[in-house]
Amino acid sequence: MKEFWQQTVLTPLRELGQQALSSLSSLVGVLILILLGLVVGWLAKELVYRALRLLQFDRFCDRLGVGPEIERLGVARSCSYLAGQVVQGIIILTALLAGLNAMRSPWTQNLVERFFLYLPHLLAALVILVLGTLISRFLGRSVLIAAVNENMPSARLLASLTRIFVMALTIVAALDELGISRTTIIVTFAILFGGLVTAAAIAFGLGARELARDLLQSQFRPRRGPEVEDQTRHL
Amino acid sequence: MAEEILKEHVKEELSALGPVEIIVGIPSYNNAQTIGHVVKAAQAGLLNYFPDRKALIVNSDGGSKDGTPQVVEQTSVDAHSLMLVSHPLYPVHRLTTPYHGLPGKGSAFRTLFRIAEVAQARALAVVDADLRSITPEWFHLLLQPLLALEFDYVAPYYKRHKYDGTITNSIVYPLTRVLYGRRICQPIGGEFGISGRLAGHFLRRDVWNTDVARYGIDIWMTTTAIAENFKVCQSYLGAKIHDPKDPGSDLSAMLVQVVGSVFSLMETYDSVWRNVLGSLPAPLLGFPFEVGLGPMPINVQRTLASFQQGVRDLLPIYEKVLTLQQLRELEACAAQPMHQFVLEDELWVAVIYSFALAYHRRVFDREHLVRSITPLYLGWVTSFARQTENETPAQVDARIERLCLVYEQLKPYLINQWPLKTGEKR
Repeated sequence: MKEFWQQTVLTPLRELGQQALSSLSSLVGVLILILLGLVVGWLAKELVYRALRLLQFDRFCDRLGVGPEIERLGVARSCSYLAGQVVQGIIILTALLAGLNAMRSPWTQNLVERFFLYLPHLLAALVILVLGTLISRFLGRSVLIAAVNENMPSARLLASLTRIFVMALTIVAALDELGISRTTIIVTFAILFGGLVTAAAIAFGLGARELARDLLQSQFRPRRGPEVEDQTRHL
Repeated sequence: MAEEILKEHVKEELSALGPVEIIVGIPSYNNAQTIGHVVKAAQAGLLNYFPDRKALIVNSDGGSKDGTPQVVEQTSVDAHSLMLVSHPLYPVHRLTTPYHGLPGKGSAFRTLFRIAEVAQARALAVVDADLRSITPEWFHLLLQPLLALEFDYVAPYYKRHKYDGTITNSIVYPLTRVLYGRRICQPIGGEFGISGRLAGHFLRRDVWNTDVARYGIDIWMTTTAIAENFKVCQSYLGAKIHDPKDPGSDLSAMLVQVVGSVFSLMETYDSVWRNVLGSLPAPLLGFPFEVGLGPMPINVQRTLASFQQGVRDLLPIYEKVLTLQQLRELEACAAQPMHQFVLEDELWVAVIYSFALAYHRRVFDREHLVRSITPLYLGWVTSFARQTENETPAQVDARIERLCLVYEQLKPYLINQWPLKTGEKR
């Protein structure tokens, strides 16, 4: 009876207790790692923020146009502070993943491994998207202002096309970095872009022949009739 | 230790020369056609008006390819003129040196300031090398206030055609006047008289690797002299006729260089101009004689079309800069036919103040911001040309004065909207 009691009740209970103890120690380890991550993350954030302030990073971002864009999104934080927060986030995430890894479960270990393998691609895609968006806006604005100052009639169209083209390239590059059906994306982009240009050319040629002729004439033929000479000296 | 910008041979020449009382500086770049005349005028002016003072003419050349320095070397004073003037106690020396650092007028001035410091000069006159209307009297008018009246800065005052200097009249003069409280009508004139004391002060400022060295030197000097309470005056030089600039020169680039510099200086001196209300006239020296000015045709159809297109196509940009009321008023203005077209002074001034504020707040790229003023400025030119078509020079002057008063009346708006400090957010 005693043996039966030992085998059916006490041993499973002891094993359960050992497993619970082991899980608890893993859980405590995870909690300690997360706590450590929070503290180190906070310290790193403060350090990065103060260092970037000293290096006048905010002014640099303002010059690039990043600062005002962030402000326009309703974020009332400086670029230095946001950079510090990004570093803090990365450290906390790393600590969390290290904690999961410490649980020694095959599922969590697999998850952590795959995440770390994919992380560089994710970050690169994010950087590409942010830079591409900024560049598309900058170039679009450059083209718009230059075209208006040159009295080109289709200034807004040119600016929009510039922005769309740069954004399309950016999205293709970002998706390519993420490894999402590369060939399909490139072929789709080529077909779409080529198709759009062809469609626009045909539509313009057939539907607006007169307009096309007038536009080309105004661009390449010298203007007829006398025009008042302008000798204004601005400075 | 300060960076030495003078080449060894220049320092040796200056050392051999000893202290000099007056320096005439002529920055140049490919001005072989005109610089000979300018050098002759300088020599004649120095011999005629300052015969007993030791003087030096310095040509600071920016690497001309047309033999400009050689022309300076070969230019000699006409023997008869020399005789007619007087016998100088000291000969007028010449020195040619390429200017140091960034290519640009500011770098030439820096070289001249350093030469003035080494030579212990009391007065420095700087004139453009492309002048055709310069006379020996100009040097008297630029130097005498420094030597005899103890002024530190002499700005030029010219008689100009009403369509000559429209950026100056619509933005640079009124804004400089309203900000710093001194009425210097030609703050970017090109000819200046500078005391040795002020030249040394300019030299020690840490601006020589900025846009000041490239193109913003004129407005920087004028603003610094006024804002830092140096004694300033104007000298009447008559008409200014110089070589026509490159006809392809970009108007929006001019605005970036000049108006961008004014906006940038507003940040440097915001603690000064926030406390200035109203303005005082700067003393005008010399006899303001009348000069004949040739016609200057203006194509108002084209300037109006540029304005209308700008208001239509740059709306997404203006929406980030201007208030809703200003936008509505600009749209209403753009809808006017030519024969009724008027851009009211109040609207124009409010627009310029809004752009200055947007520049300070870095609403977007600063060069884009200033370039986008171009169509609006052409709107002002159209309105000004239409209104002054049949007006006399005195009536035109009165119109500019009214514009300046509007700038002064609306200054409290600028002060209230100007953020006290930037970059304070965490």
